[in-house]
Amino acid sequence: MSKIISVHSFRGGTGKSNTTANISALLAMDGYRVGVVDTDIASPGIHVLFNLDESEMVHSLNDYLWGKCSIEDAAHDVTGLIGGDIKGQIFLIPSSIKAGEIARILREGYDVGLLNDGFRDVVDKLNLDFLLIDTHPGLNEETLLSIAISDALVIILRPDSQDYQGTIVTVDVAKKLDVPKMLMVVNKVPSTFDLADVRTRVEQTYNATVAAVFPHSDEMMTLASSGIFAIQYPDNIMTKALRSLVDQLKA
Amino acid sequence: MSESTYEIAIKELEARTEDIRPSDVVLFSEPLRSALNFVIRLGRFSLTEFEEKLEFTRDETKKVADLLVERNLFEVTRFSTAEETYYQSRLSAQTRPLTRPPSDIWKKID
Repeated sequence: MSKIISVHSFRGGTGKSNTTANISALLAMDGYRVGVVDTDIASPGIHVLFNLDESEMVHSLNDYLWGKCSIEDAAHDVTGLIGGDIKGQIFLIPSSIKAGEIARILREGYDVGLLNDGFRDVVDKLNLDFLLIDTHPGLNEETLLSIAISDALVIILRPDSQDYQGTIVTVDVAKKLDVPKMLMVVNKVPSTFDLADVRTRVEQTYNATVAAVFPHSDEMMTLASSGIFAIQYPDNIMTKALRSLVDQLKA
Repeated sequence: MSESTYEIAIKELEARTEDIRPSDVVLFSEPLRSALNFVIRLGRFSLTEFEEKLEFTRDETKKVADLLVERNLFEVTRFSTAEETYYQSRLSAQTRPLTRPPSDIWKKID
């Protein structure tokens, strides 16, 4: 049975796309067929992590939303682009990075219902085990739709007061949408913080499971989105924490 | 005499004049909200499954489902028979600029 997983953060810059890409890679390394949809139409970027060049993007999510192609036509097999020993497959549905197309969709909007149909169709047509939705930060109808149809929701936050407050809203909405599995991830925790203490405080604040606490990583900063961390640094402590997160999503 | 949960659900659905958006679902009363969350996640489901979640009578459940078809959240599928109706759910929202906050979402969430 396939699973739809949304990865969300209330604020931008939390490491949402990086986490999504790493989850997808680890799942594919385990032999699963994984789809990744970049619904951050206003500020797309996850394609960079998968080394998908703009010139190779025949179609994008934008084209699907404008009725120019089917959702599976917008899916790019990026398995061979990321390195590592991938037993499964990864299909990325990128958002367009053409300025004119971003401007057009911001100006004209689109039928959110098409996203609903597209998520279901791509799971069926590509025979996916997992569909990961990289959402736009904050809350809007698209985000609520993603959460409403997801089997699991990963909420990412940093140890920052603005993140803490905004995340309360996301958690509240997720609970009202009865998402079956909600996992919190605390990212970019300074090395001076006690990770166990951060985990306890977040769990108590949100009354939700903290699946992982990622310390600030110089290696991640150095990688600078030029690849997928779990593949480049398979023995790093952060990769182990990512693996733990993936195991909880699979359970 | 207080209204039954069925009467409240009907009133809430009849008050809607537009398609049902994701942000509307969080506002519905129980057991409508939970039942909708359940079937939306299923995607494809039967009237019997909806009835089991709502815990309304068969006729009451059908009336609720009919209203949801009118509001374009449910669609009757071609697999339906005389004994059983099968639906698929489709959350939607009219086309609108992505940058404009949808309706009064913040008021709804507060």
